Amino acid sequence: MSLTAIGAGLAAFTGIGAGIGISIATGKATDAVARQPEADGKIMRLLLLGCALAEATAIYGFVVAIMIILFA
Amino acid sequence: MKEMLNELLMEDKTLIHMPFGGGYFDIYASVVVSWIILAVVIVLVLILTKDLKVHNISKRQAALESVVMFLRNLISTIIGEEAGGYTDYIVTVLVFIGLCNMVGLFGFTPPTMDLNVTIALSVMSIVLVEAAGIMKKGAGGWLKSFAHPMAVIAPMNVLELVIRPLSLCMRLFGNILGATVIMELIKHVVPVILPAALSLYFDLFDGAIQAYVFCFLTSLYIKEAVE
Repeated sequence: MSLTAIGAGLAAFTGIGAGIGISIATGKATDAVARQPEADGKIMRLLLLGCALAEATAIYGFVVAIMIILFA
Repeated sequence: MKEMLNELLMEDKTLIHMPFGGGYFDIYASVVVSWIILAVVIVLVLILTKDLKVHNISKRQAALESVVMFLRNLISTIIGEEAGGYTDYIVTVLVFIGLCNMVGLFGFTPPTMDLNVTIALSVMSIVLVEAAGIMKKGAGGWLKSFAHPMAVIAPMNVLELVIRPLSLCMRLFGNILGATVIMELIKHVVPVILPAALSLYFDLFDGAIQAYVFCFLTSLYIKEAVE
């Protein structure tokens, strides 16, 4: 059981990548809106797309962690 | 932890055990919940679209028109002019997934937490994307589009046929499952007040965002396919 827990914990490290990715995307989007407030609709769409793609890695990590807990 | 996951994922999801021919035909809880959602949506549509007029419209019709225009506008700005005909299908999927994700508010298990539902939705999306490409370019042009920027990356383009629906379905499933698991954990630790506040985020906001992201990516793929 202990090794299973360690494996699931390691899979949760995918959250680091997603967190960094989303924070960079949000920071840049804030910059862009500050520079060109009239383009906020377009920026918002691109930001949501980027966040969804970046967040996917964290979700994969979560699915892997659940698989480790359930099937190991 | 493991017991809770088992309860959420591994339990027997059969709700109706119907005799069919020689054996049994199982109907999952997720199917029944989506039937309920469909029934609610159909009744709402029938009530809201009763005696629509061109002039002198009622408040109900004005509200309905603004909601429909908002949803169509949301999708048609992404999907572009060329594939505008697919807007209404995607709006339908958006409404269905959105309601599926939020149905947790009323004490049901969200149907999108069942992998079968998300797989079906993403397979429908990828079939629509490829069909849109074939309708636009013809079968030959569609086959050629696999080698689009250069012939070397054709294997990657073929792999995308599998990766796109896989990531669509896993993203939706994982997000909804994750939200439900976190909510269950919080209900375990603090049974009052806090779950109500967090359910606003996890059920309403996250559900709406995930429905939007699913439709956003589908319409982006369709736009790419008809270019």
